[in-house]
Amino acid sequence: MWPVAISELPRRDATARAHLRSLAEQARPTVLAGERVLAIRGSLGTLLPGGGIPRGSTVSVDGGVGVTSVGLALAAAATDAEEWAVAVDDETLGGLAALEAGVSAERFVVVRRVPPARWVTVVAALLEGAGVLLATPPRSLRVGDARRLVARARERDAVLVALGRWPAEAAWRLHVDDVEWRGLDADGGGRLESPTLGVRVEGRGVPATGRVAIAG
Amino acid sequence: MIAWDASTTRTCSLWCPDWPVITWRGADPSRARSPVAIVERGPDGLTVRAASAEARAAGVSRGLRRREAEARCPGLVIAETDPSAEAVAFEEVARAVEDVTPRFELERPGGLAFPTRGPSRYFGGDVALGRRVVEAVAGIGIGGVRVGIADGGFASALAARRARPDDACVVEPGDSQRFLAGWPVAALGDTELARLLGRLGLRTLGDFGALPEGSVLARFGVDGLRAHRRARGIDEAPPVLTTPPPELTRTHEFDPPVDRIDSATFVAKTMADRLLDELAGRGLACTRVVIEAESEHGETLSRRWRHEGALTPLALATRVHWQLEGWLAATGPTAGLVLLRLAPDEVVPATGRQLRFWGGDPAAAERAARALVRVQAMLGVDAVVRAVPTGGRTPDERVRWMPWGERQAHGDPGAPWPGQVPGPAPARVYAQPIPAELLDEDDRPIVVSGRGMPSASPVLVRSAALEGRITAWAGPWAHDVRWWDRVTRRRRVLWQLVVDDPRGSIVCLVQVEGSAASVTARYD
Repeated sequence: MWPVAISELPRRDATARAHLRSLAEQARPTVLAGERVLAIRGSLGTLLPGGGIPRGSTVSVDGGVGVTSVGLALAAAATDAEEWAVAVDDETLGGLAALEAGVSAERFVVVRRVPPARWVTVVAALLEGAGVLLATPPRSLRVGDARRLVARARERDAVLVALGRWPAEAAWRLHVDDVEWRGLDADGGGRLESPTLGVRVEGRGVPATGRVAIAG
Repeated sequence: MIAWDASTTRTCSLWCPDWPVITWRGADPSRARSPVAIVERGPDGLTVRAASAEARAAGVSRGLRRREAEARCPGLVIAETDPSAEAVAFEEVARAVEDVTPRFELERPGGLAFPTRGPSRYFGGDVALGRRVVEAVAGIGIGGVRVGIADGGFASALAARRARPDDACVVEPGDSQRFLAGWPVAALGDTELARLLGRLGLRTLGDFGALPEGSVLARFGVDGLRAHRRARGIDEAPPVLTTPPPELTRTHEFDPPVDRIDSATFVAKTMADRLLDELAGRGLACTRVVIEAESEHGETLSRRWRHEGALTPLALATRVHWQLEGWLAATGPTAGLVLLRLAPDEVVPATGRQLRFWGGDPAAAERAARALVRVQAMLGVDAVVRAVPTGGRTPDERVRWMPWGERQAHGDPGAPWPGQVPGPAPARVYAQPIPAELLDEDDRPIVVSGRGMPSASPVLVRSAALEGRITAWAGPWAHDVRWWDRVTRRRRVLWQLVVDDPRGSIVCLVQVEGSAASVTARYD
């Protein structure tokens, strides 16, 4: 094979380029963009470009009432893909709500009582194993640490979902602007229905706004 | 029919009653006189696990809910149980007993047992041996221990319960069956079986033991047969007591030596995983294990641990943690750890080992398990939990949080629970309900009558979590909790409220118990 005569190398004309292109097409790794995305069920998925969240990205969710529900919908995407969803939480996350959001009980783990001083270490360790990690950043979180976690998520192909203020960059920022509750009467009675949330998406792709129905 | 080794080993059991209390008091001398209840978090919330003598005199008993215990005994100090500290403190007792015999099994913090054959002859009989054990433990300043000597582990454990404090109760050889006959069936430690036997009119172990073995097996299965044999004073000796083959022993050499318990426990978990996997491959489960650790200077500490039921990898790793922590708390090794050995000491056929609870992508499972175990090593086993749906009426009751890696709990979420709050579940459930004020039109707090009727319709709610006028509501759902028990019975009423909070409209669950209202959950 070696050395190669100059005359045998492909010439840089149009046919040679076309030939190269077709070769490159065949030799490309067969990972499709769709496989790199964790598909999100329901109307939240339709708001996001590609119908889901690319693995390795960081997403922040903030706003008022409804933030937890949006977070749980993202966690369900991980267990749908047979991966693990982990939530770093104080002790108030409702387990039943998680199951109703479609999170599989077998692959959903909550880490509690994380001292603020060790929050970054714990989240970094969990990103090694989780498909989606929900976490409420402590107020004291430094930008540098947050950036390191973004890099760690990218490296480990995990999705980091920050519930609340996120000081570093994020692929998308989801804002829950309003929430609509229906089903209950002013004079007592009725049956509470699953809410619809007004969600605004900011970030890569087209900024989108829409109403999202929460599964339940 | 399973071939059973019917020979029983004469056993000596040591029992330190109220070990959690002793541990708690030992941590701080100023705690000596105050009445204390050690509570543990279980399916019913915080319940009493052990109580001091003063608290018991006031009516505090095991299994009582925390609030009720406080009501019965004013000035009661509540402390949460700390199994790790209890195990560490028990190491001191183990060291004292080591002077009498090197061959004992730790059953749990507060209890150990050993075969008497060698030591009894050496010390001149069972009575002398019993006295010797009591003295050895009293020598390190722990009083009130009880010792029981009988044929078989079960009989000797009961004999220890019968013994007076700081004394031994010796059941003569061959007499164990008679000794056991008088005990109620509840002594078997299997509540469900005991209840069933009670309904069948079998109140004592003697009644139960008199049944023919074949009928017991046909009606109650292998577990029932095991209990039956126990009731007749036949040792619960595992069916196959072949010595486990030496190649099952797992050894890990640390290079460089480790000086942190965390890192050793982390390795132990991997070793335990492999060991139990191998055993499972042979259709075996491990009920007793020897954990050996060696330091760089050649100091060794070897302990034998028994586990009721089969050991899980997590349970095994926890015991390594206890053992090392206890070693460190006592004299401690003078150098880092160079060797850790896990040797299964007693194996039984795995009759009902559950499958691993995860399916799906094994690589993802493996990755997740590694990360979660690391976090458990950092924060403790209970800090990593998963939700297990179970029966109940409130969102809080309908999910049980189990430490990740523990066996699956059995709960039947499908059973009907009248008074369940309908609709979607709240995404935030407060472990400690937030005190609130629930007011009616005239700004009077709403109270609930004995029949569960509220005094008026709710109009305004005020609390640290949320505050505002109520725009819509549903309920109330009245719950008569534990109506069958006069002591722990509670009546509560729940409302689902839409509150016009300054931050927007918030839906929450508010509970009123007597005259005290609290926010228990928020829809988020």
